Amino acid sequence: MVQEEMSKTPNAQLSTSNVQLSGNASTSNVKNRTSNILRRIVDLIVAGVFIYAGAIKALDPVQFASDIDNYKIFPWPISVALAFYLPWLEIFCGFALVGRLLYRGALSILMALVLMFTLVTIAAKVRGLDITCGCFGHASQNWSFPSHLATNLGILAALVVLWVSNRSPKPL
Amino acid sequence: MRSSLIRQILILAALALIPGLGEAVYFRQKISWQSSIPPSELVTVDQARTWAGNVIWVDARPDEEFARDHVPGALSLNEDRWNELLPQFLAVWSPGKKVVVCNASREVARRLRKEAQLSDVFVLEGGWEAWFKKR
Repeated sequence: MVQEEMSKTPNAQLSTSNVQLSGNASTSNVKNRTSNILRRIVDLIVAGVFIYAGAIKALDPVQFASDIDNYKIFPWPISVALAFYLPWLEIFCGFALVGRLLYRGALSILMALVLMFTLVTIAAKVRGLDITCGCFGHASQNWSFPSHLATNLGILAALVVLWVSNRSPKPL
Repeated sequence: MRSSLIRQILILAALALIPGLGEAVYFRQKISWQSSIPPSELVTVDQARTWAGNVIWVDARPDEEFARDHVPGALSLNEDRWNELLPQFLAVWSPGKKVVVCNASREVARRLRKEAQLSDVFVLEGGWEAWFKKR
């Protein structure tokens, strides 16, 4: 009887540890799944923002060229070239986030763009220029400097979170 | 890893170039690469003179320059005193009249279109200097 008990004990311990392991694994799976869903939601929100912003500007490149020119940084021909090019870059990067293709490339470009927009906005404020924000077409025309800056920094933060949390990118 | 990232960036940058170029061709009549004022918004001195009594000349230069000399009958409307001068301009304006802004800047013309909802607003090609040479 005692021998029987002794022979059973290691198995009982093993099965208990197996239960604990499988419990830990399932908790970890739930956590992973939740974080994947959250990441995907952020992905889609950020992608939506850039696709919307790009589409609005692509529909009216004349106005966007004028908005870029207001910053008094580039000569007019460069403003025109950027007005034709940047909206499409935002749109393609947005779709890359949705489809998770060229993912890290899209994140890098968008981070660089938002950083550039933020610096240019700050530079305009420092120089005392009264700029109409052209980021979201007519929707953002009356944005104040703080709300403009807060939006840019919020988007930048979301992009950084996505970059950091996607350590194993899907290859092309 | 890094080369893959650079490759991704280059692919996206190249892809965006295609519709960008298409759009540049599509909008070629609506935007000028030389000047921020599209050709449809510009008017020459000779053309503006043919409008004779159906035109209001707007001088968008600073007050001191306007006081020194200006197109006969022109109204001063500059951005420094926009809120003060705009009502005076609107009191003179009537529907159907063309407005010629004799300044090389597009800004006053743009604000007249946007804020005063006027449609026939033109910018004088060559600005005040062009009118001065031809008077």
